[in-house]
Amino acid sequence: MTDHVIETRALTKRYGAKLALDALDLSIAAGRIHAIVGANGAGKSTLFRILLGFLPPTSGSARILGRDSQQLTPADRGRIGFVNEEHTLPGWMRVSAVAAMQRRQYPRWNPRAYEEVIGHYHVLPEQKVGQLSRGERAGFNLALTLAQGPELLVLDEPTLGLDVVAKRAFLESLMYSSAAESCTVIYCSHQMEEIERVAENLIILERGRLAHMSAPEEFCARVTHWVADIPFAGPPPASVPGLLQVQRIDGLHHYLVLDQHDDFAQFLRGAGARTVQSMPVSLDRAVNGFLAKNHAMPAAA
Amino acid sequence: MRDLFKAELLRFRGWALGALAVHLLVLAFLARVVDLAQQPVLVYRVFGGVDVLAGLLLGLYQMGSYRRPNTWLNLLHRPLAPARIAAALLGAGLAWLAVAVALPVLLIGAYQAGLTARVVDLRHWLLPLAAWLLAACGYVAGACCMLGPARRAIAALVLLVALATNQASGVWALLVQTLALAWLAAMLLASFKPDLSAAPRSPLATVLLAVPLQAGVYLLILLLEFGGQMVWIMQGSHPNNTETPPPGGQNETERMTPQQRMLAGLAVSRAPQAPTWREQVALSEVVSIEPALSGLPVRGALTNAAPVDFDDTAQNVRWTFSHDRMRLVGYRIAGGRGVGTLGVGTTNGAFPAPAVAIAALPGQPKDDRGLIAGNRLYHYISESRQILPRIQLPPGEWLLGTTPVGENLAVQSDRALYFYDGRDIVASEAPLRPRERMPLPGAVGDLRDLDLIELVDGYLVSASFTTYAWVMDGTAPYQTLTWVHDDGRVEEVARRAIAFDYPAWFRYQAWWPSPALYALRHAVTGLFARPDPLQATTPAPLPRGIRWLAGGLMLASLLAALWLVRRRELSLPAKAAWVIVCGVIGLPALASLWLLYPACEAGRLTMHAQPAI
Repeated sequence: MTDHVIETRALTKRYGAKLALDALDLSIAAGRIHAIVGANGAGKSTLFRILLGFLPPTSGSARILGRDSQQLTPADRGRIGFVNEEHTLPGWMRVSAVAAMQRRQYPRWNPRAYEEVIGHYHVLPEQKVGQLSRGERAGFNLALTLAQGPELLVLDEPTLGLDVVAKRAFLESLMYSSAAESCTVIYCSHQMEEIERVAENLIILERGRLAHMSAPEEFCARVTHWVADIPFAGPPPASVPGLLQVQRIDGLHHYLVLDQHDDFAQFLRGAGARTVQSMPVSLDRAVNGFLAKNHAMPAAA
Repeated sequence: MRDLFKAELLRFRGWALGALAVHLLVLAFLARVVDLAQQPVLVYRVFGGVDVLAGLLLGLYQMGSYRRPNTWLNLLHRPLAPARIAAALLGAGLAWLAVAVALPVLLIGAYQAGLTARVVDLRHWLLPLAAWLLAACGYVAGACCMLGPARRAIAALVLLVALATNQASGVWALLVQTLALAWLAAMLLASFKPDLSAAPRSPLATVLLAVPLQAGVYLLILLLEFGGQMVWIMQGSHPNNTETPPPGGQNETERMTPQQRMLAGLAVSRAPQAPTWREQVALSEVVSIEPALSGLPVRGALTNAAPVDFDDTAQNVRWTFSHDRMRLVGYRIAGGRGVGTLGVGTTNGAFPAPAVAIAALPGQPKDDRGLIAGNRLYHYISESRQILPRIQLPPGEWLLGTTPVGENLAVQSDRALYFYDGRDIVASEAPLRPRERMPLPGAVGDLRDLDLIELVDGYLVSASFTTYAWVMDGTAPYQTLTWVHDDGRVEEVARRAIAFDYPAWFRYQAWWPSPALYALRHAVTGLFARPDPLQATTPAPLPRGIRWLAGGLMLASLLAALWLVRRRELSLPAKAAWVIVCGVIGLPALASLWLLYPACEAGRLTMHAQPAI
């Protein structure tokens, strides 16, 4: 295994006039669970498609497990597990038949990993895949993928459309799987509570660029929530340093700011605040605020 | 790979077994009503068309279900080479097509062979294979259409059009179908890769996709021209549809009565007898010679260009020509019991070529029949159940039909017109000897109307050659009048040049868009096919203006290709090759370059570009 499971250099992908990936430089170290988050259109799915060789880059390079992503061999593909949100499996086949087919195709098939994950679900071998619930299909898909013994496991919004119970089951089966421990996991999701539970490294993509990469706690520490009692209007938003979001609730100004410390209290007081209070934020709030900062809006807004 | 194959077999099990049942029921019903093995070519074309359509729909559906990005990724992202995945999926589809398409035909063939007295020849046992090959071609073409970008879909469909137009027969037709299937499968394998929108990378893949794509563009140009012709017809000025045809032209001649045609020919005759003949034409019955055969039967052909059976109602027997035995095989019309085989003469000899029944000759009993086989005409005698040779033309000629002329008989071949004494026909059963032979004054493919009148001292024969005057295959239209003397002399007494009704650009519309692809089209149509003597023509010389038009388009394509390749990510040799190809092939090649290599993404660098050739 190389030091980095994924490396992109100035990776750019353009769909006509739209830039999906904008000179993305990204290096993801081997081991641990990495979460990739970003707003819709941030380029996450495009990145995965390029990494798996299903899209050519417009420019730049992309390597996965040390191999040029456009030159992946069948053996390379056997080392990379991929689970997408649709859990596309042959609905006309029985669970046991699909598992048997995968077992024969993947030389490093790990039956224990399969049993470990599938045990979280009430899935019978004789059931047809088409008869499984969405949650059961997701779990079955995860079991199949982990049993392949991948060095790198890419999960692209695997819990999309699942109910709360199914989500929890999916996450637990992932977290408590010994197979998942021995591989690098790239977890892409919009569900921050999931990211918070599983991710050891947080990667934020914004408009095709790398906006942030650190441990989730470090990112949370960068974002603070300030509540100020300012009579009349607050300072113009453009003048607020590091502003991610501002709201006025019950006469109090709520500021979500990035990389601001105690001197931000001075700034608020200078703007007329009678009282100032700061508090930490959840990962969900921090990421949402961060991503909402540059969200496209009509010119008139 | 085997697992994927089995999984795909399982997927379509229900549909395939359902199709098998429906197909078998339809064939079983038809087999009770008619002899499916002896149907005219149109029936086989309808069955073939349904087979292709069924395959096409399966290919579109199967690959369409995998075409969605996530499903495609899930299918191909596994430790198997894409070619092996493709082979597994295709193998399953082809296996089910064998069950649903070929097996019912085979079972019906077995029923006819085992439980009826109908003729089932070796050529009929090849029909299940032909049906499967056609369905397979449709299937892989559908898969290609679905996997490649939509703009390239015509490349696969054009191979189906090529199959429909190819003239090969028998095992040669199977060979053509096999080649088409192999080409389509190679196209599919070249497209079966993670990035479906990518242009072909290797030179071989480029050729595999580019050649049919160019042929497809050429076909679209022809269809566009056909559409233009429809507009012309709707406008009301098309020569075929004007109330009065253009004077002196092909349409005018074709719309004339036989009498008018002879008079038109005589109008330019300098023969001293011309005024007398004009009066005679006005008073006499003009006989039109109509060939009985419009297509020549080929031994071992999978379909029937001409009827292969006839009923002798007096004897309650249906006689069917067997290609294996080269004799007639009979069975009772009522009851279906076999009555044995019938060959030529007392020795029950084999026919020299597949025989086609025509009406009895003048003076023969009404239940008798004439039988045309190659260059010979036989007399089928109902009462004695005998077949006797009556006419034998020179070797290499094809006897096409007989026409009574007064008390005599005119026999047309692909090269000449013969006259026989009618009295000899009924006087004995001995072979007849021609009194006169008039070589056709042109190619039989060009010949549209053959009319004659009896003279006191022979025949005056008018031949007008206008059949293909509207396309480039035909000769410059003309009419001749020939005087066939009683003593056998043949003398041309008039030759009238007929004007083209269509401008040259119209007649050569298949040629000037791409002379190279026109040649390819002809090569594909005639691939492994025996040249059809009835289609032989003497094409008119190519006008200089049309040469210039084609040359100008080729040059324009070359220049446009020079401009286009600079805007495409291609290696230098590939660019050079494309420019040359566009110069040689013309507009279709230019269009294929544009379709295969879409415009570069703005700002795209070349560091990841794959060489296209």
